[in-house]
Order: sequence, then structure tokens, then C-alpha cells
Amino acid sequence: MWEIGLPLPFAASLPEHPTETELAEACRRGQVRAFEHLYRVHSARMKSLAFHLLGSRADAEDTVQEAFLKVCRAARGFEGNSSLSTWIYRILINCCYDTIRKKQRLAENAAPAEFRAESNVTLKVALERALSALNERQRMVFLLFEVEGLRHSEIAAILEVPEGTSRSWLFEAKCQLKRMLTGAPK
Amino acid sequence: MKFECGDLERALANSDLFPEAREHLKTCAVCRREYRLWNDISSVARELHEEWDTPALWPTIRQAIEAERKPERIWWKQRKTWAAAALAIAIVVPVGLWRHSVATAPAARTQSSTPDFLTERALREVEKSEAAYRQSIARLSQLAAPKLSEPSSPEVANEKERLALLDSAIAETRASVASNRFNIRLQTALADLYRQKQETLRDLLSHDAKN
Repeated sequence: MWEIGLPLPFAASLPEHPTETELAEACRRGQVRAFEHLYRVHSARMKSLAFHLLGSRADAEDTVQEAFLKVCRAARGFEGNSSLSTWIYRILINCCYDTIRKKQRLAENAAPAEFRAESNVTLKVALERALSALNERQRMVFLLFEVEGLRHSEIAAILEVPEGTSRSWLFEAKCQLKRMLTGAPK
Repeated sequence: MKFECGDLERALANSDLFPEAREHLKTCAVCRREYRLWNDISSVARELHEEWDTPALWPTIRQAIEAERKPERIWWKQRKTWAAAALAIAIVVPVGLWRHSVATAPAARTQSSTPDFLTERALREVEKSEAAYRQSIARLSQLAAPKLSEPSSPEVANEKERLALLDSAIAETRASVASNRFNIRLQTALADLYRQKQETLRDLLSHDAKN
């Protein structure tokens, strides 16, 4: 039962280390403590991913907030067909795309540039710049796998593609980045 | 097969380079640089993970969640308002009919009736229902006592907290009713709280029976 009307501090207790089932059930019941638990576990990674997709910390924070609100609204209907984390990241990514569409940032950020890793530019900076020139799917898989450390099985579930596709997109992304960083032709 | 520089990218598709590729790297500085860069991309990518403190973010999200739930609470209150209105109509219509019959009845019948009689009677009915609720709740509480004193499962803890909340709301509403016994809205709210407590106790017991 959704705890509408109950003051938030009265929401039922949640074990310190809830299982996936307990957490999903608590989310379905609308327990704020369950959402707080999800926030504690996932927010750092969510902020970082949103930051790389949106290019600003403020936008990343706003989008993570929006994603959590969507999670709360939709939690009652969460059927458990995927893991909670997979579901949350999927919502976050959709929120990021919404933000990108709203602000038309994609076009601005995708401006072609010289990505050669010159001596005065560290590889990290060059890589950050090169990332923005990758196509959407390559960038997403690269960020999720290489930057945020998710497994291909998790990425495949989030993006709803086969695991082999996730691997293949990552390979394409790295080839593309390597070419950009060495100035090699495509 | 002779390995050439153009084959390097294809070779990188495997996590372990095959022997021909490794041999080629020993002799080709360009491919060696590319291969190092390939590995550096992965190691440097880990440094791109961005972390910063946002102490205000969760409180903001929590506030937003609360703000979103408020309209639902208003809706819940409105439902109660409708229930109170329905109850009021149920009382007002018979009163109207009674007044009409009084107006058309013989004088002797009019003299024997008092103006507050029906309201008093309605109140007595309400108080009788309240007593019945209280009795039923007392019985259910007795049955649920062993379950409530056990070490809590998350469901029981949830029900316990809900019962505590309902008890405090009942106490508060009863205090208001004591100073305003004829207030239909307060009486309806109190009855609703009793009903909720009864249902919560029943849920608890039925959950117990299922387990």
C-alpha cells in the first residue's frame, strides 16, 4: 500500500543492508527511506554519468533530482523485470536525453575540433574533448564501462541491447577515440 | 599470416593480442605507440569519473517528493469531505422530511417533540458505533498482541508504525471531538481513523495467518 498521508518520518523501517527484493518492495510502498538508500548507493555514479552527458555539474544535479522523482512516481509500478539499479540508470539516461533535447546542447558540444594529444594537453583533457565527438551509443557505452565501471551485462540491460552489442559499441568507441587522439584518418 | 600495421585495430578486438601481433609490436614503434594509447584510454577514462559533494541534493529531492505527495493528501482529504457531505445529506434529508411532517401534523404531536431530538439521536448512534469500533479494535489488538511483541519483520514494523501513528491521530481527534461533540466532520474523521486501525489490525492478523 502506498503510504500517502503518512508523515515521511513515520515511514516503515528498512534493514541496514536490504536485499534487492526488500528494497524493491519498500520502493513500491513509496518508503522514502528506500529511495534514500538508492540515492546513497547510486547517486555518485549517477551524477558523474549525468555530468559527462550534460557537461555541467548543475545540470547533472538537476537531472539526478528529476530522475529520482521519476523513480518515486513510477516505483509503485516497478515489476522487477530488471534490477532496480538497471531501471534507475535507464530513467537517468532518459532524463539526460530530455535535458539535452531541451537545451540543444548536443549540437553545441558536437562541434568538430582537433583532438590530437599534443604535449601541452594531457591525455585526460584530450579524451574528455574527444568523447563529446563520439556518437551517442558509443559515448554511452564508453562512459558506462570505462568511466563508471559497469559490466557489459549491466550495460546491456540498461540499454536493452544484447551483451555482444555493448562490447562491439565499446570497441568502436575506443577505435574512434584512438583515431581522434592520434589524428589518424577514419 | 604476415601481420601488418593495418591489422592492429582488428587485433585489438581480442583482449589478448595474438602472438603475431605481439611480435610485430616488438619491431614497430608506431604500432607500439598506438597499442600503448589503446591501453591508456582505458586507464585514463577511470580518472574521468567525476565526484563532488552535494549535501543539499538529497534534502532537495526529499522535499520535492513531499511536495508531490501533498496534492494526493488533499485528494484524500477531499474524499473524506465527500463522505462527510454524504453523511450530512443523509441526516439533513430526514430532518427536512421530519420538519415537513411536523408542520402538517396535529398540535399535540408538535408539542411532544423537541427541536434537537434528531441531532441528539444521531449523536447517540455515532457514539454507539464508536463504542462498537472500540470493542472490535480491543479484541483485534488482543489477538495481534503476540505478533506485535515478536522481533519485527519489515512488514510488522511497518504495521506497528502505522498503528502508533493511528493511535496518536485517534487521541488527537477524540480530544477535538470531546469539545465539539456535534461536529459531523470530526466524528466522521474519528470513525475513519477507527476503521483504518481496524483494517490495519485485520491485515496484520491475516498476514500472520498466511505465514
